[in-house]
Amino acid sequence: MSGAQAATTGHAGHPPGAGAGQQAPPPRIDMRGNLARALHDPALQTALGRALPGFRRMRADAVAEMPEWEALRRLAAQIKDHALAHLDRYLEQLAAAVAAASGQVHWADDAAAARRLIVDLAQARGVRRVVKSKSMVTEEIGLNGALEAAGVRVVETDLGEYVLQLAGEPPSHLIAPMLHKPLEAVTDLFAARLGAPRYTRAEDLNRVARATLRGEFLAAEMGITGVNFAVAETGTLVLVENEGNARLVTARPRIHVAVMGIEKVLPRLADLGVFLRLLARSATGQRASVYVSLLTGPRRPGEPDGPEELHLVLVDNGRTRLLADGDLREALRCIRCGACLNVCPVFARAGGHAYGSVYAGPIGAVLTPALWGLAPAHELPFASTLCGACGEVCPVRIDLPRLLLELRARAVRAGLVDRPERLLARLWTFVMRSPTRLQLAGRVARVLQRPLVRHGRIDRLPPPLAGWTAHRSAPPLAAVPFRARWRRGHEPPEGGDRDMPAAGPFPARWRRGRRST
Amino acid sequence: MSRDTVLGRVRAALAAARTQGAAHGTSAAPMELPALPAAGTLADPVGLFVERGRAVAATVEVCASADDAAAQAAAWLAARGARRLVAWDDPAIWAVAAQLAARGFEIAGPGAPVDVVAQADAGLTGAAWGIAESASLVLPADPRRPRLFSLLPPLHVAVLRADRIVADLPAWFARLAEGGPGGAGLPGAGAGAGTALPSALALVTGPSRSADIGLVPVQGAHGPVDVAVLVVMRP
Repeated sequence: MSGAQAATTGHAGHPPGAGAGQQAPPPRIDMRGNLARALHDPALQTALGRALPGFRRMRADAVAEMPEWEALRRLAAQIKDHALAHLDRYLEQLAAAVAAASGQVHWADDAAAARRLIVDLAQARGVRRVVKSKSMVTEEIGLNGALEAAGVRVVETDLGEYVLQLAGEPPSHLIAPMLHKPLEAVTDLFAARLGAPRYTRAEDLNRVARATLRGEFLAAEMGITGVNFAVAETGTLVLVENEGNARLVTARPRIHVAVMGIEKVLPRLADLGVFLRLLARSATGQRASVYVSLLTGPRRPGEPDGPEELHLVLVDNGRTRLLADGDLREALRCIRCGACLNVCPVFARAGGHAYGSVYAGPIGAVLTPALWGLAPAHELPFASTLCGACGEVCPVRIDLPRLLLELRARAVRAGLVDRPERLLARLWTFVMRSPTRLQLAGRVARVLQRPLVRHGRIDRLPPPLAGWTAHRSAPPLAAVPFRARWRRGHEPPEGGDRDMPAAGPFPARWRRGRRST
Repeated sequence: MSRDTVLGRVRAALAAARTQGAAHGTSAAPMELPALPAAGTLADPVGLFVERGRAVAATVEVCASADDAAAQAAAWLAARGARRLVAWDDPAIWAVAAQLAARGFEIAGPGAPVDVVAQADAGLTGAAWGIAESASLVLPADPRRPRLFSLLPPLHVAVLRADRIVADLPAWFARLAEGGPGGAGLPGAGAGAGTALPSALALVTGPSRSADIGLVPVQGAHGPVDVAVLVVMRP
């Protein structure tokens, strides 16, 4: 499968810095290599092709139903920008409110600190079994490995995450973590690992997982979740899901540990009226997710269920670096809906693992280098056609194309871009700055291209331009440059230039073309 | 200690961004928190709740009275072979629960041990509110209203008063903010923003689902396979 091979050169699926060896420089993410491997993985291509059009359609239908959609997006962006601009104040308010509701608040400045904190919590309380609901931040900090190394059994309970845990693979999509895996793989996996019959229907496989995980929920002493939103004014932690596993994880085990990135805080409870609607419709095209849990403190006296202890772990792990960066800060608005992945033409071919980080797609191509350093991840912002679709669907109006361009510019300034590419760009700049040089260069190129043109196109350019024609043909330069024609007053070209139509602002050939369509 | 580290970093980051913004001439006045959308109003909230509830594969029936609701619940449960129930101790369902018991259903209350809850065929709950836009039920947790009753059994029956259905999320938050005894309508609600909320509020919209395995949608991923909402017009 794709997951086994496509990743960073080191540990699969974890961002630079998440691994145990913090001292070593993080491995470079080989996005180009990963992409090439993904393109030659037919199973992955089939899975992506089956999933993404449906995701896009469901979102589009759900959005079309709401005339106030654009107003909601603008509001969401404003609320997030406000919360980020006053993040110190809101974090303090949140911490105080959680404590007032008898929750305990912990702070972790990086992944290692967060892991240590949670492992210590588990060990101090004699925890042997942990159930988890799907959480990107715990993937980000590499929590499962740390708990397992400490002898704690960790079970993922989101169905997709559970399958991936059995398979030993990282998730490949924010919302549909096992998007890349076909049903048949689950049949094999459940037969091999759980001794289940070789079921071929999703309902049967689901029943196997439900029964197995039921036992885990009932036996676990600790439940670990992420946090979708945290409300500063009430200390309420909000979890959004469809399966019910997050509810079980927070209702049954004695201890609940909620892990959140510090950017998830919202000022007011009523802000959820904006964000819950945006999230459900953007992520899955639902009017509401099946389960939204608003948790304010642990269980209270007399309550028969709910955790006796609630711990909130606030994780920085690079977020303050992004907060300080005025040009990139808006990436912290992200609510992890996955809409930008679903519309991205590069993600549609690459899949999630190619990005070599827990965060894939356009937002991943921004977050990974912005949070953990450009050097190891500088290829990611280039994995985009800049078509703009990601920015259009983003429910919190993150201007992803602008952020990708900004990171590209920084990669160039830092000298991270390939030498030939840099030289070409410099040459291009030099030529384009003077009309004389452009004219001269055109003349030279028209001569040089002669041996390369076959049937009116160029199928193969020599190095260092070979990459340009690796997967497509290039059009040759026109025999008479546009500037020359313009100067002659739109005359028809002498000779047989097929590219240039007859004179006039609307040449006859174009008019014909228009009428015929 | 790490609290001060993280908060210190946040403050340093905000200061650095302000300096950078001033240098670029882009930094504006501190952003105000915008006003939120007004609460929606509907001519027929019950009608929309029923339509949207059916759209998410819930069974939604409008019942004239508690007697009617009990009859509907009994028929729905019997059709699914349910016999053993766990039920909240909630005034909204006392009448329904009593009639179901009279019809021979075994009913355990909030004190039931977890294995009884796990073995039950169905959970019977009230709902503090209904949200019409999405057909969501609002289920608070407190000593008489366990969280697991709407979660562990494969069937969930919720009794919802028609006058508790609001148009949308903003309308619900507006009602919550009214606070005070009876105003918020949340059992055990006290004074003050933080304490007014119960330890858990679950917004439930239809049966538990997943499409993770092979992109095939299934109901009953971890929670109930089927949900019935009985909207009672005259409780």
